[in-house]
Amino acid sequence: MAYPYTHGSEVRILSKGWGDPRARTLEGWKELGGYKGLARALELGREGVVDTVKASGLRGRGGAGFPTGLKWSFMPKEKGGPHYLCCNADESEPGTFKDRELMRWTPHQLVEGCLIAAYAIQADHAYIYCRGEFCEANLVLARAVEEAYEAGLAGDDILGSGVSIDVTVHQGAGAYICGEETALMESLEGRRGLPRIKPPFPAAVGVFGRPTTVNNVETLAAAVHIVRNGPDWYRQWGTEKSPGTKLFCVSGHVRRPGNYELPMGFPMNELIEDVCGGLHDGRRLKAVIPGGASVPIMNAEECDGCELHYEGVVERGSMLGCASVIVMDDSTNIVKQVRRMVDFFAHESCGQCTPCREGTTWLSRVLLRIEKGQGTEQDLETLIDLSKQMTGTTICVLSDSAAAPVVSSIQKFKEDYLSLIRRGKAVGAA
Amino acid sequence: MSADATGGSAGEIPFRNPGWAGNTGEFDLTEEQVRGDEYVGVIPADGGHPGASPARPFILAEKDPSAPLFEGPYDERLKKILSRYPEPRAALIPALSLAQELRGHISDETMREVGEMFGLSHAYVRGVVSFYTLYNRRPVGRYLIQVCTNISCGLCGAYEVLSAFLDGAGTELGEMSQDGLFTVMEVECLAACGFPAAVQINSRYFENVTVADVPALLTRLRSETE
Repeated sequence: MAYPYTHGSEVRILSKGWGDPRARTLEGWKELGGYKGLARALELGREGVVDTVKASGLRGRGGAGFPTGLKWSFMPKEKGGPHYLCCNADESEPGTFKDRELMRWTPHQLVEGCLIAAYAIQADHAYIYCRGEFCEANLVLARAVEEAYEAGLAGDDILGSGVSIDVTVHQGAGAYICGEETALMESLEGRRGLPRIKPPFPAAVGVFGRPTTVNNVETLAAAVHIVRNGPDWYRQWGTEKSPGTKLFCVSGHVRRPGNYELPMGFPMNELIEDVCGGLHDGRRLKAVIPGGASVPIMNAEECDGCELHYEGVVERGSMLGCASVIVMDDSTNIVKQVRRMVDFFAHESCGQCTPCREGTTWLSRVLLRIEKGQGTEQDLETLIDLSKQMTGTTICVLSDSAAAPVVSSIQKFKEDYLSLIRRGKAVGAA
Repeated sequence: MSADATGGSAGEIPFRNPGWAGNTGEFDLTEEQVRGDEYVGVIPADGGHPGASPARPFILAEKDPSAPLFEGPYDERLKKILSRYPEPRAALIPALSLAQELRGHISDETMREVGEMFGLSHAYVRGVVSFYTLYNRRPVGRYLIQVCTNISCGLCGAYEVLSAFLDGAGTELGEMSQDGLFTVMEVECLAACGFPAAVQINSRYFENVTVADVPALLTRLRSETE
């Protein structure tokens, strides 16, 4: 028995227990070496854990790729009150579907990761902010938290160490923006999820006004294995700057979409052609969004020879994000797909910054006009102009994210736009 | 692994989408094992451990719009939730979720009641409720069917799946069917992009849903009602 769609190129570390119902339970997780990482962390001491994670080169898996150990080291060493850890389990970037799998198959992996991180940053309480739609994952995770408390792995005096860490699963209520770390904290405090202006950064003033670190589910899961096995072990995979394995979420027009855990730097051609079984018969690759809806679109030439690590994708004019690879074949109308993504951003804009609130809606309207054959070439200039005004002008990057696929698609797939405009004119003239 | 293992053909197995990533023939788990039902067990009425108390499903088939809020076990659950945060306001969203679990939607009256309990203005609570998409502002059917049509699902036929649900349920987008059984909605990404189309029905996920699967799914839901 195996998780569906496994492939020989995979290095299953984080996803090892997937597809095995036993791996969910505390006992089953321990059989896989579970909670050895936590015990090791308590031996290493707080600074030892931070140094280990720093040495591993682990970079945040939520999209930004910020070095995790460095982030942890920003937390104050002297405690003047409670510290908090927030686990960002609000997975909602279109194209991303790894965190739900991690939580529903291996909930203890996340609980252990939370305990290790909380210990390293001297957090008194770890909140797992889990997406509200994930009712099933929430229940599985909640059971794991109960088991951890029953076994003395969470709560007071963990494993007799004198360290106390509480863990709470907090269920969200449906808002993409709450995946932005400051919006997540606002939401956790019982407010609308409006991103905060930075600085102050969360490590200084976070949730409930206290020093806070926010980490993605996959980051915390990776930390478990790094602490257990050491930084050199982790560095046997990936590149110098992007070490380790990564869960690649592949969706769209491939034969075998799914989650694949591969070493960082894995070639995109091989991912699509071999691991995912290639495109459907008679189809050619048209475009790939390599990191979820908020990164620039790549065309087929840019994809050819691209190495999937943080720098490799930047070199090709996009970003790895959370490695959410959305594949589109030559049957795709790019304008329609970009419009669908922009509709999403318009729906999810929190509304506090004008360029985003208004801009996303305008983009959507202009794109729909073009899609319906009622656009003009002037509209392309309007789209570019709007996108410029939406980039770097707002509190968070949702606005920039909405503009990225618009600008990149006009640059790389202008013919898709022009043919719709021309066809519209021809119909109008007839 | 064979090259044609793209989800199998519909027909022989009536429910091949119980929330897992496709039936490749290699994946021999039951739906309960995939969903983790056995592991989760029976959820205690009082919410179980306080650390787990804010994480309970709040989209249930049984709803009572006039049920009293936060009485008996619900009061215990709320107290446990309040114990997990340094500020009572942080319990507002879990409390609203509890209210929706009980009543099925959040009416103006519910917002007032919850607001009074937290000492928060009606405007504030309304602001929070209207911000989050999972709060139903109007009554919904026994089964709330939410079909993702975002990019990955959309590329793989989700709009056709949405139409099939609307046709099969005999209702229009966002409306409740006449028999009160179904409300069908189009939603944003459900984070199951590799297994399109992703559909959430109350608290359960169904993945790899094709147009051909929809009649059987609706039949199943109708039979669960009896």
